[in-house]
Amino acid sequence: MATQLLMAKSPEEAIGAKNASAVFIAGGTEVNRLGSDAAAAADTLISLKKCAGLNEIEEAGDMVRIGAMCTFQQIVESQKTPAYLKEAALFMASRTKRNMATIGGNIAALRDDSYLLPVLFAVHAELEVLKAGRTESMTAYSYMESAEADGDMLITAVCVPKNMKVVSKRYANTAQSHAVLTMSAAMTGEGISLYGAVKNVGLLYFCDLEKAFRENPDISEDEIIEMVRVCTGLETADDMFGSDDYKRYLIGVTAFGLHSKLAGKEV
Amino acid sequence: MAKQYKVVHCTVNGKEIEQIVDVRSSLTDMLRNDLHLTSVKKGCEVGECGACTVIINGEGFNSCIYLAVWAEGKEIWTLEGLTGPGGELSDIQQAFVDEGAIQCGFCTPGFIMTSWEIVNSGKEYTDDELRKALSGHLCRCTGYENIFRAVKKTMLRHLGKFEEAELVNSQGITEYPEPMPFK
Repeated sequence: MATQLLMAKSPEEAIGAKNASAVFIAGGTEVNRLGSDAAAAADTLISLKKCAGLNEIEEAGDMVRIGAMCTFQQIVESQKTPAYLKEAALFMASRTKRNMATIGGNIAALRDDSYLLPVLFAVHAELEVLKAGRTESMTAYSYMESAEADGDMLITAVCVPKNMKVVSKRYANTAQSHAVLTMSAAMTGEGISLYGAVKNVGLLYFCDLEKAFRENPDISEDEIIEMVRVCTGLETADDMFGSDDYKRYLIGVTAFGLHSKLAGKEV
Repeated sequence: MAKQYKVVHCTVNGKEIEQIVDVRSSLTDMLRNDLHLTSVKKGCEVGECGACTVIINGEGFNSCIYLAVWAEGKEIWTLEGLTGPGGELSDIQQAFVDEGAIQCGFCTPGFIMTSWEIVNSGKEYTDDELRKALSGHLCRCTGYENIFRAVKKTMLRHLGKFEEAELVNSQGITEYPEPMPFK
């Protein structure tokens, strides 16, 4: 359990102090409730609250650049934020939590019921990441893949497209509960882009479904449900959030529904 | 590794305070244990129930997941700060009493702090927005309707809509009178 706290004044100071036994703490809604194993095992917390320059939302051409320490409530209230991101931020129902939780923190937590990651994956959001003293740009999905191998990275900003057709859906027993499924679909230049977060399974890229929709835009709901039902790459299991069958069915109907909505079809 | 302590300077309910805290302490712990402000309730301690809500620089926060050291230089209000010098209840507190929005009372301080932020925002929330604004709080007794009604009526009174506040029915819906038929 952490006994030390460092209030970093800059992202550079924060990344300089990062080591295997330290964790970053942004808004505190994850780390302060010991929402991750890393937070529980850490002996030092590196607070990013006082880091300068991480809480601005600004337009940059056809993108919007959001500082990593921007809170969910800032995202909801800003006129510069795209509507699809506001919708995802509002999945966090509690306003008092939205006043604390940050976009960078929610990404870095890599939760399997993440509020924002499915939509950020779907729109191919670019992250500015401070790593070994220099800033790199990577997609949110590449960040997830690299973070599993190398935790010594600090997200400083998130860049999302201003105008993109995006639809999202989140299922939970109550507004405050962990979601069994959060899924987002975006219409990119290459066609539909489909990502999700499935509780106790992880953050997923539904590449087979994406391919099926691109190859046959008129594919039926039953065909999609069947594809997910027999998919061997999907490691769902029975747990308190629902049965394996239920999760697979939910993924299938949601993917179909989101695709239909993007295509402007009646569901 | 040795524990680390820090001195926090902030304003709580209008009074400037200086407090030594363990860097791991939550603001709830500082307010309850050091400053004896026991209206700040320890409910879930994971930021879900809203019983620990306090106002920091004008916005509601879950103090259970807010580090005490983050309060440096901040202006904090708890329920104790809403009452008058002689213990008089503020209008939002009185509305909770009048509307029967309190049963066991555990969630009440948190609800009132968020409500205080809402009614002092100067904004007229729709019923839907109001319900969403209150959704960070859990109450196991009242069923929320009485709380909703107390907040809605106080919000309308703050906006000078006294007559409209009286038209809010038991379900929290504003019942406008039937227009007079043309003769």
